[in-house]
Amino acid sequence: MNQAWSRLLKMPTALICLSIVISLSTMAILSASGLDLSAYAFDQTSNDILSPPSSSHWMGTDELGRDLCSRIIYGSRLSISIGILTALIALIIGTAYGSIAGFYGGKLGDFLMRGIDIAYSLPDLLVMILMGVLIGRGTAGILISLGLVSWMGTARLVRAQILQLEQEEFVDAARSAGLGQIAIILKHLLPNAIGPVIVAVTFTVPQAILSESTLSFIGLGLSPPACSWGTLASDGWRSLRTHPHLIFFPSLFIFLAVLSFNLLGDSLRDALDPRLRRR
Amino acid sequence: MFSIVFKRALSAIPVLWIVATLTFIMVRIVPGGPFDMDKALPPEIVANIKAKYHLDKPLSQQYVLYLQRLAKGDLGVSYKYANRTVNDILTSAFPVSLELGLLGLFFAIIFGLPLGTIAAIKRGTAWDAICMTGATIGISVPTFVIGALLIFVFGLWLRILPVALWESGQHMILPALTLSASPAAYLARLTRSSILETLERDWVRTARSKGLGYWSTIIKHVLRNALIPIVTVLGPLTAILITGSFVVEFIFAVPGMGRFFITAVSNRDYDLIIGTTLVFGIILIVTNMIVDIAYTLLDPRIKIEG
Repeated sequence: MNQAWSRLLKMPTALICLSIVISLSTMAILSASGLDLSAYAFDQTSNDILSPPSSSHWMGTDELGRDLCSRIIYGSRLSISIGILTALIALIIGTAYGSIAGFYGGKLGDFLMRGIDIAYSLPDLLVMILMGVLIGRGTAGILISLGLVSWMGTARLVRAQILQLEQEEFVDAARSAGLGQIAIILKHLLPNAIGPVIVAVTFTVPQAILSESTLSFIGLGLSPPACSWGTLASDGWRSLRTHPHLIFFPSLFIFLAVLSFNLLGDSLRDALDPRLRRR
Repeated sequence: MFSIVFKRALSAIPVLWIVATLTFIMVRIVPGGPFDMDKALPPEIVANIKAKYHLDKPLSQQYVLYLQRLAKGDLGVSYKYANRTVNDILTSAFPVSLELGLLGLFFAIIFGLPLGTIAAIKRGTAWDAICMTGATIGISVPTFVIGALLIFVFGLWLRILPVALWESGQHMILPALTLSASPAAYLARLTRSSILETLERDWVRTARSKGLGYWSTIIKHVLRNALIPIVTVLGPLTAILITGSFVVEFIFAVPGMGRFFITAVSNRDYDLIIGTTLVFGIILIVTNMIVDIAYTLLDPRIKIEG
């Protein structure tokens, strides 16, 4: 693990992406806690309505004279946290489901795998829309529906890892030392499977950010006054012809975040498995 | 081959039944009904409408009625598009989504496969870097941003292509390009890794050492074998593309299944929701079957079982 970490820190792409991810997350955390931007993000007193980017408003203003730059910083809070929380939900559900399916195998395992097949066969957007209607379209609703369509990959991965690791001698050793099944899963199998799982989680974050912005864009995700990059882009879409800056900057940030997480995932995979890098 | 088709069709029935049942339960749990308006209707009228559509009966009875109609191939009626049956709506919307999806798939393949092949053959060079950077950007841009960009460039700036509706071949280009962007990027990445893996096989070395030229080896031996994992993902990909990317149909005002599905969900148009989901299921099953048959053509060693 430490080796992989030092390999990762030697890759220039990984370093750039890591610093972008960290600064975007810091921005999100700051706007969520200490830094109060709501005064700027919701300030409608400005006379600069729909002004293009300038020195006083770096990214221009919207139709109510709100500064787009501060709205994007404010929106990072929802977009980034939805991405990361969804990945965590997928990690928890996927790991639990995959470990059970892999460790217990047999009929239960087969049954659980058919469940994954069925969950995979339903189109994500269809499930998200139906779930969104069912549990409401607030932040919690979006999180639950995103989590529900994102866990299957992790579950398959964890199961495959566990099936492979189960054959190893150290599992036999642990078993003969009298360790219980849950203890074997938690203490011996999962820690050894952690590498690929981290990679999968890194790829879930950008997927969730994209899905959230897409849902909000077609009007079935978050809706104002909630402010995420998706809702900002959705607002900007209406004035694409006249004021393209309103869709350009939110899209740019979605792109930047998604690209950084994707490239970071690629680098992590290479760092954990140097064999792949040579290919 | 016919026995395979027949067996698959038979095994599809229970799957579709489960999907229909799940969706039936789901749409009815969802709060709000199809006749909730901004202005509340008098209760007598609502009761009359509900009686007409059998929505006043207990759920179990509604379910039995639905399955009876479904067995006859009748998907029910739309509550919002008055006088239109779900079969009617879907037969008009499906061909639109089919055209859009197939054209999108075509674009995805003609962009994705060559890009991935070039990147793999020129591994480690600037070509590789350019192709793969393009592909990574492709999977990182949201569909609506690509749509907005294309509309801006071709529709508003150059003014050479129409940006909405579905009337002529020209109308299909921008939506299909938008739809193809992320599958193309995905295919390029997959093609690259699949070819790289195939290049390391022993029989590639054998082909080279018996004197076969570089390009003949690539085309006759490598590409054919590298295609197998690509065909696997083409199945679900085709199904998703054909049933309409909701976003693309939304952006370009294309009257396909995706757009009907979005409006059906917000209108609580029960039968239309279940009908669209079922059609999606059927397409998924059919494309998966075609993929399995395509396997045997690419690799005669693979035999399909029922």
